[in-house]
Amino acid sequence: MSTDRVEQFKQEMEAMQVRDPSQGRDRLWLRVGVALMIAGLVVAIAAYPLAATGNDLEQGQAIVQGIAGLTAAVVGTALFLRHSFGNFLRFWLARLSYEQQQHADRIIAERG
Amino acid sequence: MPEAAPLLELRGVRAAYDRIDVLFGVDLVVGQGSVVALLGPNGAGKTTLLKVACGLMPATAGDVLFCGKRVNGVRPDELARRGVAMVPEGRGIFPNLTVRDNLRMMTYTGASLAEIEAIAFDRFPRLGERVRQVAGTMSGGEQQMLAMARGLATDPAVLILDELSMGLAPIIVEELYEIVATVARSGVSILVVEQFASTVLGVADHAAIMVHGRIVRDGAPADLEQELSSAYLGNQQGDR
Repeated sequence: MSTDRVEQFKQEMEAMQVRDPSQGRDRLWLRVGVALMIAGLVVAIAAYPLAATGNDLEQGQAIVQGIAGLTAAVVGTALFLRHSFGNFLRFWLARLSYEQQQHADRIIAERG
Repeated sequence: MPEAAPLLELRGVRAAYDRIDVLFGVDLVVGQGSVVALLGPNGAGKTTLLKVACGLMPATAGDVLFCGKRVNGVRPDELARRGVAMVPEGRGIFPNLTVRDNLRMMTYTGASLAEIEAIAFDRFPRLGERVRQVAGTMSGGEQQMLAMARGLATDPAVLILDELSMGLAPIIVEELYEIVATVARSGVSILVVEQFASTVLGVADHAAIMVHGRIVRDGAPADLEQELSSAYLGNQQGDR
């Protein structure tokens, strides 16, 4: 490796945009997802009795509330799945790689 | 004229697995083209420190700096693309793929397979003879060569090696460390973690002993060699 490579490395480091690390971001989004899921469902269910009226305006408002609640629940579910499955899949990949390595070591040991 | 910033610097780094603290304010510097050996007994936190250095694990406090730039929170793949390569403990190769396919995995950096193979086989001619062999069927030393070749194929500026000697015969370890010394002479900065110190101290420019998540001693390898036994076995006087 030449000095050029080190210089290039220094320049790339200098130019790199570093965001402030937020260590609990995954956990935060997970909690936001769960909260949205629950709150969305509560809002949607609460809209149902409100819609049981002969007043068109109130019924319209209840329908909007119901749709908004369902939307929040869907978004919350998506957030929850994204941030819980992300962690799970990372763990799964690490485990798969580890097991393959163990398997290969066993084969090598058996071959002597 | 101000002195140039070291390629890799750790300042007061602390890290934890959930609520269990593992590192307690570690300071370490790796200069350009130098080999720094990090030694210590099992469970000292050496591998954790490497994970923090290459972005695989967040530091709960302290700074990780490359060329003086704080990189806390930068994703490991971003660091890898810019020239920080890590050869993990246990090699981390794909045992069910051939040598060529393992090297092909490094084409994500943008380099062609031919370029990667040229670098790898230049350093490790034995891999060139086994290009179609399934990696898991090679000897431990050859697998370690493949892991190192994969790291070097990215043309790294900083190379991080974790327990290079694990499970290998002493003669193979010596061979690998000769290659490490050659790589360092070409200007790559190397941080190497080892539990068994004798060989690595022969090629290191600087060494540090880590015990219970703290650097307890650092200095020239020759000076540290005598203190290793007390670090590994515990200071009997201090324990009383």
